[in-house]
Amino acid sequence: MDAAFLAELRHIVGDEGVLDEPLELLTYECDALPHLRESPAAVVLPASAADVQAIVRLCAREGVPFVARGHGTGLSGGALPVPGGIVIALSRLNRVLHVDIPNQRVTVEPGVTNLEITKQVAPFGYYYAPDPSSQQVCSIGGNVAENSGGAHCLKYGFTVHHVLGVEAVLPDGEIVHLGGTLVDTPGPDLLGLLIGSEGTLAIVTSITVRILRRPEAVQTLLAAFDTIDAGGAVVSDVIGAGIIPAAIEMMDALAIRAAEAAVHPNFPPADTVLIVELDGPSAEVAALFSVVKDTCMRHGATTIEVAQNDEQRARIWRGRKAAFAAMGRVSPNYYVQDGVVPRTRLPEVLNRIRRLEARSGLRIGNVFHAGDGNLHPLICYDERVPGEADKAVEVAAEILSYCIEAGGSLTGEHGIGADKSQYMPTMFSADDLAVMQRVRAAFDPRGLSNPGKVFPTPRLCGEVPGPYRQHPVEAAGLADRL
Amino acid sequence: MSQDPAPTPVPAVLQPDTPAGVADALRQASERRQSIVIRGAGTKLDWGRPAGRIDAVLEMRGLNRILAHQHGDLTATIEAGASLAEVNTALARHGQWLPLDPAFADRATIGGLLATNDSGPLRHRYGTPRDLVIGVQLATADGTLAKAGGQVVKNVAGYDLGKLVTGSFGSLAAIVSATFKLSPLPAASKTLIVSVEDDERLGQAVRLVMASQLEPAAFELCAFGSAESLALRPAVARAFQASVMIRFASLPAVVDAQLVQARALLGSHATSIDDVDGDAEQALWRDHNARIWSASCAIARASWLPATITAALAELKTMGAPIEIIGRAAVGAGLLRIDSDVETQARVITRLRQSATFGNVVLLRGSDALKAFVDVWGPLGDRERLLASLKHALDPHNTLNAVRGPL
Repeated sequence: MDAAFLAELRHIVGDEGVLDEPLELLTYECDALPHLRESPAAVVLPASAADVQAIVRLCAREGVPFVARGHGTGLSGGALPVPGGIVIALSRLNRVLHVDIPNQRVTVEPGVTNLEITKQVAPFGYYYAPDPSSQQVCSIGGNVAENSGGAHCLKYGFTVHHVLGVEAVLPDGEIVHLGGTLVDTPGPDLLGLLIGSEGTLAIVTSITVRILRRPEAVQTLLAAFDTIDAGGAVVSDVIGAGIIPAAIEMMDALAIRAAEAAVHPNFPPADTVLIVELDGPSAEVAALFSVVKDTCMRHGATTIEVAQNDEQRARIWRGRKAAFAAMGRVSPNYYVQDGVVPRTRLPEVLNRIRRLEARSGLRIGNVFHAGDGNLHPLICYDERVPGEADKAVEVAAEILSYCIEAGGSLTGEHGIGADKSQYMPTMFSADDLAVMQRVRAAFDPRGLSNPGKVFPTPRLCGEVPGPYRQHPVEAAGLADRL
Repeated sequence: MSQDPAPTPVPAVLQPDTPAGVADALRQASERRQSIVIRGAGTKLDWGRPAGRIDAVLEMRGLNRILAHQHGDLTATIEAGASLAEVNTALARHGQWLPLDPAFADRATIGGLLATNDSGPLRHRYGTPRDLVIGVQLATADGTLAKAGGQVVKNVAGYDLGKLVTGSFGSLAAIVSATFKLSPLPAASKTLIVSVEDDERLGQAVRLVMASQLEPAAFELCAFGSAESLALRPAVARAFQASVMIRFASLPAVVDAQLVQARALLGSHATSIDDVDGDAEQALWRDHNARIWSASCAIARASWLPATITAALAELKTMGAPIEIIGRAAVGAGLLRIDSDVETQARVITRLRQSATFGNVVLLRGSDALKAFVDVWGPLGDRERLLASLKHALDPHNTLNAVRGPL
């Protein structure tokens, strides 16, 4: 990287705010999708919105691409660095700026963790609703970039439904305010467009969210079934009865076994478990909970455990939320897929996945947000076995094709990032993508903000998507990855 | 020497009935550098700035089908020209609805709802159209048909162009169809009408309900900002002097339990407290939504921080005009009816925009004379350049919307 450029970065954020030693850069080579790696030219750690603005202005002046990064928990390579570009890590922008309980609003900087917002307001009886499994560590800025969901978004919606306003730095260094503490900013919903744009339109430097009053009652049950079809039938019948639970989650035998090995939630050994949580006014929860229990029994639940207190509820959720990481207990490596199908197509798609499992020889654990049809197949492989990593990627891609064929989506919450950009043409036409690109160009005509993400880019000849392998041309020093 | 003004040409009326027809109409207009206004039911066509030259009106009522109602998935894909009322009649066959109650809900179309992002009291629980739209098909001015989002509720693939066009008032692209997340129809509903003595107690009631664990479907406030205006409508003056209305919708027993709780919470703050259900409740909400539009006054949309409502009402009283306010008490958004001469109306709008209490003040309905005095949209702030650049990216020849704004 150009020494003068680095000197200017140091002038903005101080010596300690710029990292360019190879060892220091290692942490930033990837996010939580470790098979995509790239070393940035430098990492810069701004401490204020003014710093971010100055850094972006410098990048714009010099034509240097930049990638914003929160806490690096993304699962689609959305924070993958760009060769020759810098990473703008927002971890130092971690102040809670304003807590307004009477108006039910909190303003924070992007490096604040998701759970910290709830911690700030819990003493007053409030919480922040979106709850991605990584909520203890993921940043709210990253949540905005990815439009993060979580187990409870079935009833409460996604990040986009809970953010009232942001301050953001555009790719030319201009600061804009989209939304705010008041609702109904006139004009197109730029805030809604920005949320979920995966860092390709702007970098947010402060975020105002709304917080919710804790519901009067919460009831959670764990039901076990002998077949995944029975679990799926319960989901359909509960929704069909006009009940919108706070969450409906399903896990299959392999995922149950992994969670049990890792965090001992005391799940029953079963083919399928279903976690159903209802919340709301006491009278409503009591009435609907008995409908849910009856539905489980009608479909042959082998056991039904009702959480009797918050501790038991937390144990059930610990088993669910630890499921991804727990796969490490039953497999040397695993690949987390994220796809969506219409809820009514779940049984059909799950059976296709089971046939694929048998055919491929790779075990596939299934953990999913059943209420909204969001699948998270966990494809187990052993990278020491030649060819298995590639096969895992092929299996993951095939599952995505099932989702698209069923009328679903490439991603429900992990984002497209660098990982799935090549699949975008399977869901969107060239015209669809061209219109999206026109919107992008209105924000970032030079494509400096997180290039190579979301949209498909031409690949080197012969390159296949998947775990990073050095292309022979790169190995020979003849080409760089752009 | 004076010249007669050029005769205003009568706009052509285009009535496509297919997505390709919409796209073709836009492409041809764009190529000919014509100006097009998109029209649904026309209920909000007078919102926005006075139109400039209009060469053609693109009527969307020919695209009025429900393309899919996936009731098992609680979603529906609907063409832009279908009316909300027709759609909800059809969805009700499976016990579902698109829970929106915008102005002129009996005629408003799906496309118009999205273009204006208009909503009503149900916003308290269900949000605005932007919160419920999960996919769109658009036609851009160059005749491209493009989709974004999808058919599933949970989906983060690609840019959410459905959000981008909500609130755009037809100035970026034509909305051809949209997919929405639906809700189950509640089994029962009752409304508590709580009249209070003054603005202070109104504010207390709002803060109490917000801090409670009550979960109403709607939580409205109504107040007159000026004592003089009471004389205008004596029949309703007492009830609407200052009151909140709380609608509970759930299972019958749950509705009753919530009503009991709400009465206990607010009883000591109220001058009167009544509940209604059935046809009377339907009529109450219909009247509440329609009444503010029934007089030919200026009507503005505004927002405030919900817990500051007492201060907001006090500020309205200093405006020197009778002002009625209705709105979403816990959201902090609603409508102001300004009943005065044009100069005073203009002064009120300007003062509201300078106020520290109110924000996002948009003049929805007003005479051309008023719209000549004050800008309909108000300042765009630091978004101005970005909005211009988006307009240029999607509609480079200003084909759409005849400068009615906001971009």
